[in-house]
Amino acid sequence: MQESGYFSQYSPINGVWDEMYGVDSIREHYSKVIDYLSRESSEDLARKEELAQRLFMSQGITFTVYSSGEGIEKIFPFDIIPRIITADEWAFVEKGIKQRLNALNLFLKDVYNNQFIVKDGIVPIDIIYSCPHFLREMYQLQVPYDIYVHIAGIDLIRDHDGTFYVLEDNLRTPSGVSYMLENREITKRLFPDLLPQCCVRSVTEYPNILYKNLLSLSPRQISNPTIVLLSPGIYNSAYFEHTTLARLMGVELVEGRDLVVKNQKVYMKTTIGLQQVDVIYRRVDDEYLDPLVFNPASILGVAGIMGAYRTGNVAIVNAIGNGVADDKAVYAYVPEMIKYYLNEEPILKNVPTYQLSNRDEREHVFANINKMVVKKTNGSGGYGMLMGHASSDEEIEDYKKEILKDPRNFIAQPTISLSAAPCYMQGGLHPRRIDLRPYALCGPDGIEIVPGGLTRVALKEGSLVVNSSQGGGSKDTWVLA
Amino acid sequence: MLSRVAASLYWLSRYVERSDGILRMLKINYASSQDTVQEFTWEPVVRIFAGQDEETQKLGNDSRAVMRYMVSGKNNPNSILNIITLARENARGVQEHITKDLWQCLNEYYHTVKDNRIDNALKKDDPVSVLDVLIKQVMLYYGTVEITMERGEGRSYMNIGKYLERGIQSVDILDTKFGSIDDNPDLLTDTTYWKHLLLSLGGYELYLKKYREGFEAENVLEQVVLNNDFPRSVIYSVNHIQRYFERLKNDSNIDDYRELSFYIGRLQSNIKYSSVKSIKDEGLHQFLTQIRSQLYGIGDALNNHYFANS
Amino acid sequence: MPEFKIQHLTKYTYPAPVRDSANQIILYPIQDEWQEVIKQEIRISGDPVIDTFIDYYGNKVGGFTYSEPHSTLLIDSKILVQTKHKPLPGNDIFPAQQWEDLKHLRFMVPYIDFLRLEQFEGFDDLKALVEAEKSKEDTPYQAVLRFSRYVYDNFRYIKGVTSVETTMDEIWKLKAGVCQDFAHILTLMLRLVDIPARYVSGYICTHRSTIMRGEGATHAWAEAYIPDYGWLGIDPTNNCIANETHIRLAVGRNFSDCSPVKGVYKGTSDHRLDVSVNVGYEDDAPSMNQPVEFINTPPEHTEHKPLSNIPKNSYQRYLEMLQQQQQQQQ
Repeated sequence: MQESGYFSQYSPINGVWDEMYGVDSIREHYSKVIDYLSRESSEDLARKEELAQRLFMSQGITFTVYSSGEGIEKIFPFDIIPRIITADEWAFVEKGIKQRLNALNLFLKDVYNNQFIVKDGIVPIDIIYSCPHFLREMYQLQVPYDIYVHIAGIDLIRDHDGTFYVLEDNLRTPSGVSYMLENREITKRLFPDLLPQCCVRSVTEYPNILYKNLLSLSPRQISNPTIVLLSPGIYNSAYFEHTTLARLMGVELVEGRDLVVKNQKVYMKTTIGLQQVDVIYRRVDDEYLDPLVFNPASILGVAGIMGAYRTGNVAIVNAIGNGVADDKAVYAYVPEMIKYYLNEEPILKNVPTYQLSNRDEREHVFANINKMVVKKTNGSGGYGMLMGHASSDEEIEDYKKEILKDPRNFIAQPTISLSAAPCYMQGGLHPRRIDLRPYALCGPDGIEIVPGGLTRVALKEGSLVVNSSQGGGSKDTWVLA
Repeated sequence: MLSRVAASLYWLSRYVERSDGILRMLKINYASSQDTVQEFTWEPVVRIFAGQDEETQKLGNDSRAVMRYMVSGKNNPNSILNIITLARENARGVQEHITKDLWQCLNEYYHTVKDNRIDNALKKDDPVSVLDVLIKQVMLYYGTVEITMERGEGRSYMNIGKYLERGIQSVDILDTKFGSIDDNPDLLTDTTYWKHLLLSLGGYELYLKKYREGFEAENVLEQVVLNNDFPRSVIYSVNHIQRYFERLKNDSNIDDYRELSFYIGRLQSNIKYSSVKSIKDEGLHQFLTQIRSQLYGIGDALNNHYFANS
Repeated sequence: MPEFKIQHLTKYTYPAPVRDSANQIILYPIQDEWQEVIKQEIRISGDPVIDTFIDYYGNKVGGFTYSEPHSTLLIDSKILVQTKHKPLPGNDIFPAQQWEDLKHLRFMVPYIDFLRLEQFEGFDDLKALVEAEKSKEDTPYQAVLRFSRYVYDNFRYIKGVTSVETTMDEIWKLKAGVCQDFAHILTLMLRLVDIPARYVSGYICTHRSTIMRGEGATHAWAEAYIPDYGWLGIDPTNNCIANETHIRLAVGRNFSDCSPVKGVYKGTSDHRLDVSVNVGYEDDAPSMNQPVEFINTPPEHTEHKPLSNIPKNSYQRYLEMLQQQQQQQQ
């Protein structure tokens, strides 16, 4: 194989699964891309990187970072080298996610109705009842088709031997899907003809499938139900995504103040009067959704919407109260849920998880803290976690104090090394750690996962944190046919 | 159309129009401040666009201080910086309803006025050049709206906002300028005084063509209130409010439409069937106060019936 | 069998019209062996449809909206209710066995919710105090009575010093409050010794000769779970067993689960709240139509909030909105 300079210099990280580089050679599924790239000089790639930046900026694919009241618009860093997943790998991941989501949906249905799994002692009751996202308001509330999780963004990582693990089940308002779509559009511009040559499967169906599912949830059997996307507003970092999805689905983008509840029905205020809303794809957290029932200080929500939801006059996507299923303490029991509800062995592995509310497990974690990642059970976005191997003694001591205040709020997991993929930086290719968030859509016809997802990458050398808030970027994610 | 979207388009447009009025006013008054040594005062300009408080009193008659306050003043809610920030935020929330060109144009206006160079230049350099840079941004905005915006409901709300803002401005300027005469009757015959008023409304050349006999307060009044062809006259603004409002007629909100249509029609008749003589008989201040309150009334009614009190 | 006629009026008055109000009422007396509702009529200004459902704790909850601009909101509930005396717990089981039985409830629904403790600064003090108060020979029933007396003796009953938003820390420092604070403290004390305790909202209906705290408005007390007996009502504000003269409206973990009337609306943050609870007895002349005297309750005693006016300062509100919008993510 002809390799130009920057490929021959690529050196995989020791003891880490490299997506591109196998034992002494480039993996088969990367070969076509490498052939293509080999014909480009380093300068060509630099130009492509520039083009990508420009496209993101000019298309307004930005998020705003606020500091001292001033907003600065930034682009989510994009690495031009795609991350490639083989057909076999994808088949495995797809099957695993479907299984997991089936179980999680059944769990939500169960935990808000009969609680069989709790009565049978599979999931400890106190973990459920102490979870702030276990919403008693959802008790015995019937949701259409018994679907709670319509949209899931399950985070996967790969250990040193390439085994897939589930890191987090994001079942509330997972974000990032617009980057899956936009990254692909940019790649089409950067590498003409390469996608068809490599037989990369398309992701463009995502908004259509989502729209079809939203439509099927309409409580009114009318030909043209009103579907809206409820956004917190322009200051939310995912606002760009909200506008993109609304545009791609052709639905109205609304804010809480556009909606009003009247006699248990939700309406949007238009210039020609009130118009009934049937389905709400909301990107506002549970706690802020209804100031009458949840946080009374919320100015993003719609007072009384819970009543409309309960009476079945409006469908809300995702369902309210899903946080009890993606709580990090409950996460530890997902493999048990799969066995309990489906009578199947889990396909995707869980990362071993220690409950810090359990004294023995807590002591074990404290004794081995250098090999652990400690997380808040209700945190997300990479905020408030402790990477044992990369923290000072002082940081660790402070964090321990924090844990002891309310151990239920923390779990610990052994540090997983995370696989690496080549990234174009400083004029060459360098391995950087990545994860994978595919987006699964559950509708009355079952679960569909568009072949692809968001690959997040820790751009800092040696870093294991891929979150955008912590210096992460993203890559286009190719699933081969 | 969502009420919030309509309200955002309306306000976005009002803010840009307001910035246009402020910038032109500043430009002419700055020139005036260089012309007249004793008589000139910034007070009416500040009063019209920023109100009176401790902060504005501190400005005194320092031209550069006034201009910085009016253009880049962070504490002045009506400074160009602050109203264009608001205009842009309104635009951001309705990005699906305006063209990309328009969004980029507003974005550029915002970045231009936010740039520290503007404030620095107002401190040291030629203020007119600074004002011209900003006025050009407004012109670009108007051109972009004209060329790219769909002729639909959204644009009607934008135009209603624009002409309502313009009408209010013209009324305020007249009221202030003629009010000063009560304190200082000499102004009545002061040609520079009237010249500057017309210049700041962009009506100087039209006046010269129409009235050969020099500057007369009555003629100025006639042009600014009653001239159908003068784009900043009160009647011109009201006619356009009426014209764009008519396009919003829809079967589903016929009661709301009728109510507002009545307010606009009443105001239009009030002005149309006035003459300089009848205005003088009624009292100019009284007349302007009534027009102003009816303009505000239209804004309130829009908010109630079309914007769901957004 | 005592029978009570109760009229409970709640009236909000706004200086300027408000709109888009959404409200929740928990004004339906619990129906069980000890309490029977013969008749209830609820009238609300604007005649909205009231949609009712049974919540997680078994309470009947009503919801209604009032979208049109309005300057007053009147909720008028008339109830005819019959109660029975519930016999008190016996002392025929060994105390040790009873305490042992209680331990098993820790991981059982619904008791788990009524055993959950909340952290606050005075927690350790309260814990020490409870340990000191509790006598080894006490049955749970005796402990309940003892703790009720403790709250009654050590907390001053003062109206207006606390509100629904007052934290446990503040109440603990003040050592004073109204019925809801007394009930709150007692539930915590009971939970500390493994006795499931819940919060109760309702009305107190005593005879004319005795004046009790909590009359004329909605009242609150606690219920403790006694093994082999069930829920025992205990009113620390009056230091008595809550029995046939206490009409129960709702039970829950805390005040906010039982809030009798709450609402959110758009408009001015100013409002005046008048609440009155009038009780008539079976042998009274019909009292339902008598003119009602309102007690002006400070608005902080209910959750009734403008949606668009928090906080009042619009810059602060803007910052709050920024923060809320930025917080939403996963």
